[in-house]
Amino acid sequence: MSRKSLPAITHLQFLVIGSLLSSERPGREIRTLIAAYGIQRSGPAFYQMMARLERDGLVEGWYEPLVVRELTVKERRYRIRPAGAKAWAAARAFYEAVALAAISQGWSNA
Amino acid sequence: MPDRWAQWFGRLLPERLRTEIFEPAWSDLRIAHLISGRRRPPFAAHAAVLLIECWALGLVEAFRFQRPNAPPKERLNMFLQDLRRAFRLLFREPGFTLAAVITLALGVGANTAVFAVVEAVLLRPFSYPEPGRLAILRHRDQQTGVSKDFIAMGDYVDLLKRQSAFESAAGYGNPHPTIFGAGDPFRADGLAAAPGLLDLLRMRPALGRTLQPEDARPGAAPVMLLGYEFWQSHFGGDPHIIGQAVKVDQAMHQIVGVAAPQFQFPPDQRTDVILPLTVPLQAPAQRKVDWIFAAARLKPNVAIEQANANLAAVSRQLQHEFPRSNQGSEYFAVSLRDALVGETRTALVLMLAAVGLVLLIACANVANLLLARSLSRRREMAVRIALGAGRGRLLAQLVTESLTLSLTAGCAGLLIAHWGARALVALAPKSLSVAGLTNVHIDSGVMAFAMGITVATTLIFGLASALAVRTAVAAGALAGAGRVTSGAPMRRAASVLVAAEVALAVVLLIGAGLILRSFSRLLAVDPGFRTDDVLTISVNVPAARYRDAVARQALFQRLFAALRAVHGVREAGAAVVTPLTGNHWTVTLERPEHPVPPGERPPEVGWQLASSGYFRALQIPLLSGRLAEPGDRPNGRLVVIISDAIRRRFFPNEDPIGREVKAGDQKALIVGVVGDIHRAGLRDEPHADMYFPLEQLPPFSVTLFARTRNAAPSLQQALRSIEPNIVLVETRSMADIVGDSVEITHLVLWLLAVFAGIALALAAVGIYGVMSYVVRQRTREIGTRVALGATQGDIVWLVMRYGVRIAAIGAAIGVATGLAAGRALGSMLYGVSPADPITLAASASVLLAATLVACYLPARKAAAIDPARTLADW
Repeated sequence: MSRKSLPAITHLQFLVIGSLLSSERPGREIRTLIAAYGIQRSGPAFYQMMARLERDGLVEGWYEPLVVRELTVKERRYRIRPAGAKAWAAARAFYEAVALAAISQGWSNA
Repeated sequence: MPDRWAQWFGRLLPERLRTEIFEPAWSDLRIAHLISGRRRPPFAAHAAVLLIECWALGLVEAFRFQRPNAPPKERLNMFLQDLRRAFRLLFREPGFTLAAVITLALGVGANTAVFAVVEAVLLRPFSYPEPGRLAILRHRDQQTGVSKDFIAMGDYVDLLKRQSAFESAAGYGNPHPTIFGAGDPFRADGLAAAPGLLDLLRMRPALGRTLQPEDARPGAAPVMLLGYEFWQSHFGGDPHIIGQAVKVDQAMHQIVGVAAPQFQFPPDQRTDVILPLTVPLQAPAQRKVDWIFAAARLKPNVAIEQANANLAAVSRQLQHEFPRSNQGSEYFAVSLRDALVGETRTALVLMLAAVGLVLLIACANVANLLLARSLSRRREMAVRIALGAGRGRLLAQLVTESLTLSLTAGCAGLLIAHWGARALVALAPKSLSVAGLTNVHIDSGVMAFAMGITVATTLIFGLASALAVRTAVAAGALAGAGRVTSGAPMRRAASVLVAAEVALAVVLLIGAGLILRSFSRLLAVDPGFRTDDVLTISVNVPAARYRDAVARQALFQRLFAALRAVHGVREAGAAVVTPLTGNHWTVTLERPEHPVPPGERPPEVGWQLASSGYFRALQIPLLSGRLAEPGDRPNGRLVVIISDAIRRRFFPNEDPIGREVKAGDQKALIVGVVGDIHRAGLRDEPHADMYFPLEQLPPFSVTLFARTRNAAPSLQQALRSIEPNIVLVETRSMADIVGDSVEITHLVLWLLAVFAGIALALAAVGIYGVMSYVVRQRTREIGTRVALGATQGDIVWLVMRYGVRIAAIGAAIGVATGLAAGRALGSMLYGVSPADPITLAASASVLLAATLVACYLPARKAAAIDPARTLADW
């Protein structure tokens, strides 16, 4: 087994960045998506996390206009950046390696 | 709208918090609520929670700053430690705490109370779907400059056909029909709805059906809808009410539906019953005989300005096509909110600005108290810094202390606001009919406002405290804590704060002074008639019994005689238009011998229908000719009495008596000239008025005027003795009507005077505080001066000179600001300029007098300093 370092991102960040791998998304959609995994975050708490990801260069955010009921509002959208994709791949490799090790070495608490 | 205030509070957040957290979260919240279609109250509550959470995250960030790598538990412990220390401080210095909390609570409470009223009147959405698209159509006469709430029937029909800015428009009226069969006969508040009005308002009936266009056709069977609350209160919410008949005025009306709960239109009036209003399908030849109110719903994405451009174009078409009736007639639309709020908006915004200034003064005062307290805490801070406490750690502690103080004051402020809002509503004139004013309460939006200003004051105090900390560090307070004598930067800071307080107080004093002068000028206006000892009673004559004009005329004569027979009644009469109630009814006037050229519109003059007793009761002088006489019968030749302004304008060098004029489409003989009066209001210049005799054109509804000091019941009894079925609508004294006509100015005067008084007191306390601080700071210097031979008078002058200099600088800034701010009062002023030198000088003088009093006590204390003792302590 090749040497793997611990992931540089948290489980929640892994989930959020993962959701952006396939396409860019609005922030509220990401919130809904992570809520499906049982992770509830208020708007301010969620965007504080996203701001940190942006500051770390893992994702990129911008505003886009959205028309709802004839009113134009701006919506925050995010896309993944190369550093984010790299960090996510590294974390995934770590989780896979741990999973494989668990299977091959028969780790169990049963 | 919660959007505005939430965004406004959002702007107060630090830049990073606002852009990174608040703005995206706020966008999401708006999108979610727009999609769900829900607005209030969840939206307001969610917005408030969002703001609080953003601020809380900001504070957590600040605590992270004190020790970035500290584990959360340790950070929590530090926060709890600061919180305990903050509470201990509150109790350790009860005098300081009480002064600061009372000052702040007054500021927060007054602001929240006024905001509660503003929210209810200006911000709370109406209960109709998409209320922002609702508008009221109005008419402006470019000849006279007078705007009217109603529009001519002929123009109404054409406007509706030709306009393209509104999805729909429909006329309405607000009749007050007499309802029989639901207890005693009584006068109800009704809505007469032209076809399409209820659809335009999106009214869905709770029971039965809404009105159909067929209901308003001439000859259709009379039908009506009941207001929901009226149905509950007068018919016990009978579910089988549909199909039953009720007598309204003189006709039986079948109930076809019950309106939606809480439905009323206009929103500031009750709607007990809704009746169909018949309007012609084609514009009548006499375009300006009947008048009607009209409401409209803007098409989606059409702004009111675009609608007005469209209405202006249609108005020009009508002017071109019908110059004789429409020359100078311009139609325009105002939003439903603006139409209802009227001049109350200016008064409310003014109040909000005034209490905002009071809060700023309160904040400056508390900041000064904190600065003074920081003097005694310099050693403590210096020790903490020496022991390694970082800037962030101290800042976090000071913010916690400020927050504790602010939240305590905020809670007290909410209590004050609860009572203050009630007091404000109680102070509002009874004649003032503004939607929302009866439903003022401290809801989530208002609480968010209170929370917002509390947090804002926390920031201001935090800044003051941080300044003090910086000063402590810079001064090396640990080394010289016992011997510091100057503290110049802090003294400067305190002086700047006091000067700002003084400036703000002067602005408020100027505002109150200008309104006071306006009010006194208004009260000094001679309306042209006597207002004392006049009682007015509005009555409706039973229409069925007095269909014939001669019968009505005979009834009025009997009513006048009955009133005159009451002991103490010196004169009695009647008129249709009650003076000083804003009425601008007009009629065209033309001299047959000088006809208006074809294609031009005859000039308009004021219209009134009055009996001869009306002039005598109000003591409007008869200048020449005669008033109406018993010989002026309904079927006789129409006579008219003109005001002196008409004589001057239309008969400049001739005697008008015996001349014939054409008023509207009627010819009338001038028989008398009476004095000019202020008819619509005291602020209006007297217009030319034409009085038609009530004896010849007796109406169904009039206002009776009796010159008497008697109480109303004896007069009402006399009227009922003549006609038991007469409906007595309203009884008021003429003095009350005069009072109501200037009530808004009166209310603004009261509130501004109260706020200016508070501001003056706070500024005086601030000056006293800073002078006491200065005296403490300069104790040794003063002691030295006394030792060197300075007299008590020299010391008093030394201290007072310092205080007066600060106050003079503040007053100068205040006067300059007041000059600019006075323009905002423009529409509320009467007979006084915003730059009135007497008001400016008086305001500055009052403030300087308060300054002298506030400086005198510390000056006396300074003069009593014992030089031997102070020099021994050196």
